[in-house]
Amino acid sequence: MVRVEIIRPEPNDAVATGTFLRQLRKNRLGVLGALLVVLVFVSAFFAPLIITHDPIKIMVGPRLAPPSLDFLLGTDQLGRDTFSRVIMGGRIPLLVAFASLGSALAVGVVLGLIAGFGPRWLDNLLLLVFDTIRSFPGIIFALAIIALVGPSLASIIFVIAMTSVPIYARVLRTQAQGLLSSEYIAAERSMGAGTARILGVHVLPNVIGPLLILVSMDVPAVIAWEAGLSFLGMGVRPPTPDWGAVLNDGYSYINQTPWLVIGSGIPIVLATLGFTFLGEALRDIFDPKLRKDL
Amino acid sequence: MKHIMGNVSRRSFLKTGAVLGGGVLGGGMPLSQVIWAAEGKVLRACSDGDITKLDPAFYNRQVEVDVMSCIYSKLIRYKPGSEWGWELDAAESIEQVDPTHIRFRLKKGIKFTGGHGEMAAKDVKFSIERIFKHKSFLAPQWGSFDRVELEDDYTGVIVFKTPFVPVWLLSLTDATGHVLSEDAVMKATKDGGDFGLKPPAFSGPYVLADWKPNQYILLTRNPEWAGPKPGFDEIRVVPVDDLKARERAYLAGDVDFTSISLDSLAGFKSNPPADTKVEEWPSLWYYWIGMNMDHPKLKDINVRKAIQWAINVPQILDAAFAGQVNVATGTIAPGLVGHRAKALVPPEGDLAKAKEFLEKAGVNNLTVSIDCTSDSLNSTIAQTVQAQLSQIGISVEVNIRDNSSFWTLGMESEGERWKDLQLIVNGFIGLPDPNYNTNPFLQNQIGIWNWERFRSARYDELAAKANTIDDPDARGKLYQEMQDLMEDSGCYRFLTNGANPVIYRTTKTLASTRPDGAPLFYDFQPV
Repeated sequence: MVRVEIIRPEPNDAVATGTFLRQLRKNRLGVLGALLVVLVFVSAFFAPLIITHDPIKIMVGPRLAPPSLDFLLGTDQLGRDTFSRVIMGGRIPLLVAFASLGSALAVGVVLGLIAGFGPRWLDNLLLLVFDTIRSFPGIIFALAIIALVGPSLASIIFVIAMTSVPIYARVLRTQAQGLLSSEYIAAERSMGAGTARILGVHVLPNVIGPLLILVSMDVPAVIAWEAGLSFLGMGVRPPTPDWGAVLNDGYSYINQTPWLVIGSGIPIVLATLGFTFLGEALRDIFDPKLRKDL
Repeated sequence: MKHIMGNVSRRSFLKTGAVLGGGVLGGGMPLSQVIWAAEGKVLRACSDGDITKLDPAFYNRQVEVDVMSCIYSKLIRYKPGSEWGWELDAAESIEQVDPTHIRFRLKKGIKFTGGHGEMAAKDVKFSIERIFKHKSFLAPQWGSFDRVELEDDYTGVIVFKTPFVPVWLLSLTDATGHVLSEDAVMKATKDGGDFGLKPPAFSGPYVLADWKPNQYILLTRNPEWAGPKPGFDEIRVVPVDDLKARERAYLAGDVDFTSISLDSLAGFKSNPPADTKVEEWPSLWYYWIGMNMDHPKLKDINVRKAIQWAINVPQILDAAFAGQVNVATGTIAPGLVGHRAKALVPPEGDLAKAKEFLEKAGVNNLTVSIDCTSDSLNSTIAQTVQAQLSQIGISVEVNIRDNSSFWTLGMESEGERWKDLQLIVNGFIGLPDPNYNTNPFLQNQIGIWNWERFRSARYDELAAKANTIDDPDARGKLYQEMQDLMEDSGCYRFLTNGANPVIYRTTKTLASTRPDGAPLFYDFQPV
């Protein structure tokens, strides 16, 4: 009996992190993106400490007032403080983005692995389901589902997760199938490793990286979706502060004051730009084909 | 042919073709319309929503009334201008013979399109009687109507069982008074019932040429129309639910007539867009917060009264109407017979009293829902009510619905959703006769338009009696008591009658409206 000893290289996290940061520093847009993302996170996380008024209390000031020291971005049609609503409003898009993409990723990974490794009939069945969901135009699908179940935070998260699952699952399935034919998996199999071990220990770590980059690039799209649905009155229930909802109020009262549109529009632009730049930078760094220094 | 083609090079032919084709496609219009539009004068106007019905016996919305008055004729119609009154339309003459008999004589030569012949007295008989035969929910508009007796081809007598005072400013003048072709309707529907959105024949100055849901309603001249020629060759009505979006459509030059919001009124008045006239009309609408008394959470009258007293009406009007409207005292607007000088609950309400009622009900941690349409006005009202009720410890969930979904919420014919309905932000069109403004709350309207499911035998009795009384003072007292009953049930908190400012482009048209600002498109004149 010959014993095979596997020699693992010592992982060197510090070196990897250093390389990553060096790469990121070279990418100016990436740095800008990272800064914006940090800004969005910090303002959302510390929102209750930053706000100057209760964001849902009506008539704290005059209606549609211009910015002043007391109301930094003025007030809306119900006399609520726009600044406080905008700051608190950042929490909803982030929550929606992470809850929906997180759950989509989890379900997508499982389904993708099953499709990639399962029997042929199951693969075909899952592909049929994925393609069916993807064949609906996203926004129409969302509007239809929300009209059925009623507008709420949970329904937005559900709709976005549901439409994202097939994308992640399909990417994962293709990657997993590619890996299946590789020699080291064959070697694992010949040593008697079970499917669960092969999938969990050998396949998943190899495919999750590209998937995470895909997810990070989807964050800005989800923020825009959420804002769009709220703008159409299909988002969070009033009076929950939310960028899309404030933007909708701003649209209605644009003849009286531009501050609602400015106050809610700029954060949406900054957040989507930040996540887009960061996502692209991550893709550039982790995809060797796009690395110019290699 | 050869000769003509010989002078046109292939290249220039393609060029011209591309320019023409591109222009047509770019404009998003079929070729026939481009040619038509280039020839004639087109009125482009915004309406507050899309049509759901073009059968006058079963209509639902104001826009349908506006469209139907262009495509059908009726015996008499509302006069344009600032005073409520009527003028002859299809009738050559009409007179009240006695309190229960009205004799009319039709003009000769009014043709129905599609070869359905000339309008005759039998068509008037058919049009009114089918409202009852097919049990239209609009039947109360004709009150104690009994039958139409025919005297000759053009003359008939409308007979009521008991005197029916509202006939002049409601039954004959509103949409249910339109005259349809018996021949055409019977052929199209077999039993003469609801024909929905497909008019079997037209009898007005215009015909419905095209309708693209949520895009436009296109009316063109009726070639068989023998009456006075209307001003425009074509009327294009663009349905836009949101008032603010309508203003944008006007400012962008997409339409030349629209209603505007009260929020924007001051801005439009002080700084009007070029060549624009702003007109302010008092509205006969009535807006209210309704409570479904059959819902388990609102069954206790004390809970409903608590909500009534917690709602501060002037605060809502400040937020949603820029404070530029009156406080309504009921469903009947100022100036009309039956208007109440004041409501039972003061406009500002009283939080202490509201809390007392809530204590009496023994309810804690109550959460209720409020349904409203998605436009800025109604969602602002809902959010203000939400904030106000939180002051007495009632949490409110706001359900924002799109128009088509909202307007079927309380209808039993549309499913089970009426059972879940709790609070409602609602607003109905009003007409100059108080009968119209009190009909939706009769017991036979429960689950149709009476979404609060308010029932009072006394109310129904008074409503029937009020129809028969000619003296405005005596009649008014009955309507006042009816509104007291509504308010006392706790099901209603009246908000306002609104106002109806409209704007139009003076370089394109001279608008013509009813005294409440509703457009009479057939009377618009091109400039």
